[in-house]
Amino acid sequence: MKTIIEFIKNEWNSFSKNTKIALAVLVSLFALFVIFAIQILFWGLGYTDMNNTFAMGLWIIGDLGFVALGGGAFFTGFMLYILRVDKLEPLINSTVLIGFMCYLFTFVLLVFDIGQPLRAWFGYAYPNWGAHLMPQSMLTEVVWCLTFYFLVLCVELIPIPLKHKILDKIPVLHYTGHYLHRLMWIMAAVGTFLSFFHQGSLGGGMWDVLYGKPGWWRAHHQLFFLAIVAATAGGTCMMIMVPKIAERIMKKEVAPKESFWTLAKISGVMFIFYFVFRIYDVYTMTTQFVPLADRTFASTLGGYYGWTTLIPELLLALVPIAILNVKKLREQENLLFIAVICGASAIVFSKIGVVLNGFSVPLFPWRGFATYMPTIQEWLILFGSIATMILIYMGFAAYLPLFPHLEKHEHHE
Amino acid sequence: MMTVRWGMSIDLDKCTGCGACQVSCMQENNMPIFDEDSDIPKRVTFLDLMKVTNDFQGDKKYGEVQTAFVPKMCMQCSGNDPQHPQPPCVSVCPVVATDVGDDGVVSQIWSRCIGCRYCQAACPYEARVFNWWKPRYQGDFARGLNPDVSVASRGAVVKCTFCSHIWKRERDKAISRGETDINKVTYTPACASACPTGAIVFGDLNNPNSPVFETRLKNDPRAVRMVHSIDQQPENERARRMRIKNYPNPKVYYLSSQKWLRDILSAFQNS
Repeated sequence: MKTIIEFIKNEWNSFSKNTKIALAVLVSLFALFVIFAIQILFWGLGYTDMNNTFAMGLWIIGDLGFVALGGGAFFTGFMLYILRVDKLEPLINSTVLIGFMCYLFTFVLLVFDIGQPLRAWFGYAYPNWGAHLMPQSMLTEVVWCLTFYFLVLCVELIPIPLKHKILDKIPVLHYTGHYLHRLMWIMAAVGTFLSFFHQGSLGGGMWDVLYGKPGWWRAHHQLFFLAIVAATAGGTCMMIMVPKIAERIMKKEVAPKESFWTLAKISGVMFIFYFVFRIYDVYTMTTQFVPLADRTFASTLGGYYGWTTLIPELLLALVPIAILNVKKLREQENLLFIAVICGASAIVFSKIGVVLNGFSVPLFPWRGFATYMPTIQEWLILFGSIATMILIYMGFAAYLPLFPHLEKHEHHE
Repeated sequence: MMTVRWGMSIDLDKCTGCGACQVSCMQENNMPIFDEDSDIPKRVTFLDLMKVTNDFQGDKKYGEVQTAFVPKMCMQCSGNDPQHPQPPCVSVCPVVATDVGDDGVVSQIWSRCIGCRYCQAACPYEARVFNWWKPRYQGDFARGLNPDVSVASRGAVVKCTFCSHIWKRERDKAISRGETDINKVTYTPACASACPTGAIVFGDLNNPNSPVFETRLKNDPRAVRMVHSIDQQPENERARRMRIKNYPNPKVYYLSSQKWLRDILSAFQNS
C-alpha cells in the first residue's frame, strides 16, 4: 500500500502545472458523476427534465453519439484487418481503446436512462424476438449487438496492456497476447458484422420504425443505413481527432503522418457518401414520407431543434468533404485538425437533431413544439462519463503501449 | 377465441369537462397523486382531459374563441389490419412487457417493464406515462387502493387498458354463473361509468347492435378519430397510403357537431 501511495505521490510531483489542473478538473467531474449517479439510481428519473412528452433526452444523445463515434473502431479494424490497409496499424491501439470506452459508457448511460436499472438483464432474459429469430424490437437488437461487440472490443483491447514492458516478460502473457493478436482479423470481421447492425439500429432504425411519429418515420429503413454511413464517416474523424489532441498535448508525434492521412482520406470519402445520402434523406422526407401524415417536412422542423440542428449538421459535414478529399489540404496539420473536429461535430449534431427534434414535433394540432432543458444531474452524468473516458485514455497513453510508433521512436533516440 | 373488439365513442357535444372520468380513472387504476401535479408533463394519469381551443395560434378575435374539453386515453391502436394488430408501441418493446390481446386491448405488464420509454417515444397520442417518482398515496388513500390493479413501481411505464381488469372480474362472475361464452361478457370501464352526461360510450366495435358499431361510426358525419388524417382521404388514396405505411387506426371515436372541433381534432391544418 505504502509503495502505491509513494508511486502516486512521485507521479503527481512529476506532472507539469497544466497536467495537474487538467487532472484536478477531470477527477472533480468524476466525483460529481458519482454523487449524481447515486441520486439518480436511488431516487429516480424525476430529477431529470425528461417527461412524458420528452421521454428521452441528453443521455440518449450521448449514447447515440458515443456509439456513432466509437463506431470508427469497427470501421478502422475492418480497413486494417480485412482490407489490409497496413498504414493504419500505428493507430489501431488508440482506436480500439476509444471504441471500448465509447461502448462501455454507452452501457453506463443506458443504465441511468432506464427507469428500472435492476431489471436491465430482462433484455437478455426476455428478448423481443419475432419470426425466424429476427429481433422484433430495435432495442433488443441494440442490446444484443452492443453486448457482443463490447466483448469483441474487450478481446481486442487485452493485447495492448499485455504488451507492457513488465507483463511482456511473462511467457504465458506474452504468448496469449501474441496469439490473440494473430486472431484479430476474426475479431475484426465479427466486430464489423455486429457493429454494422447496431450502428444502424441505435442511430437510425430505432427511430425510423416509429410509424406514428411523422418526425421520425421513413420507409425502407432509410435512417438505419444513413446511421451506418454516419458512423463510418464520423467515427473515422474521431479516431484521428483524439490522437491528434494527444499529439498536441504530449508535443510528440504519436503516429506516422501517413497513417493519419490514410484514415483522413477514407473519412473524406465516407463524408461524401454521408452528405449525398443525407440530402437524399431530406428530399424523400419532404416529398414522400412526411406528406403521408398530411404534414410538411418544413412544419416538423420548427421549434428550437429543427432547422437549428439540420443546417449546422450539413454545413459541418461540408468541411471534411472539402478538406479531407484534397491531398494538399489534408496534409496541412491545422486544416486536418479542423476538418476532423467538424466531421465529428456534424455527426453529433445529426444525433441531437434526431432525438431532440423527433420528440419536440407536436403530436396535436393545438400544441406547440416541446422544449427540453437538461438538469444539472443530466449534464454532470454526461460530462462525468466523458471526463472518465479522458482519464482512462490519459492513463493508457502514459503507462501502456498505446502508441507503438512513439515507443519505437523513443527507442531510436 | 374473442370476436369482440372493444372500442369507445366520446360525444364531445355532451362533455361538460367536469373531469369525473379522469378522477374515476385515477382511483380505479391506483394512480398516485403528487403535490406537484400541476407539473403536467410528469403527471401519472391514464386519462388526460385536454382543453382544446380554436385560438391556439392566438389570432382569434373576441367572440370567435371556442373551447372544448377532450378526454384522451389510450386509443388501443391496431395498425392497418385489425385482424393482425400492430400497435406502434407493442413491437418496439425490448422485453415483451406490452402486448395486444385478441380483443384489441393493448396491455402492459408493469413488473416486466424496464422503463426504457421506447414505447412512449412510439406512441402518437402521448397515452403512455412513466412513473418518474415513487408512487405515494396520501392519508387513507392507500387503504382504498383497488386490489385488482397492481401498483406500479417507480421507473415503469403504465397505460390505460380500457379497465380490462373489470372485464376479467365480469368474466369470472359469468363463469361462476355457468356462462361459458366469453364473447357475451360485457363491462363498462371506470371513465364511461363515471360520466354524468353519458358522453363516453363503450362497447364492441364489431357488433351491429352495439352503440359503438364501427361501420356506423365510420359513416357518421359527426365522428372523427384523433389526428388520423387518412380518414379524410378518398378510398383509393387511403388504400395507396396504407400499402406504403402503417397507420395507428385507433379505436376511440370522437363525435361533435362543431366543425372547428372536428377539423382540429382530426388533422393538422395548413401545415
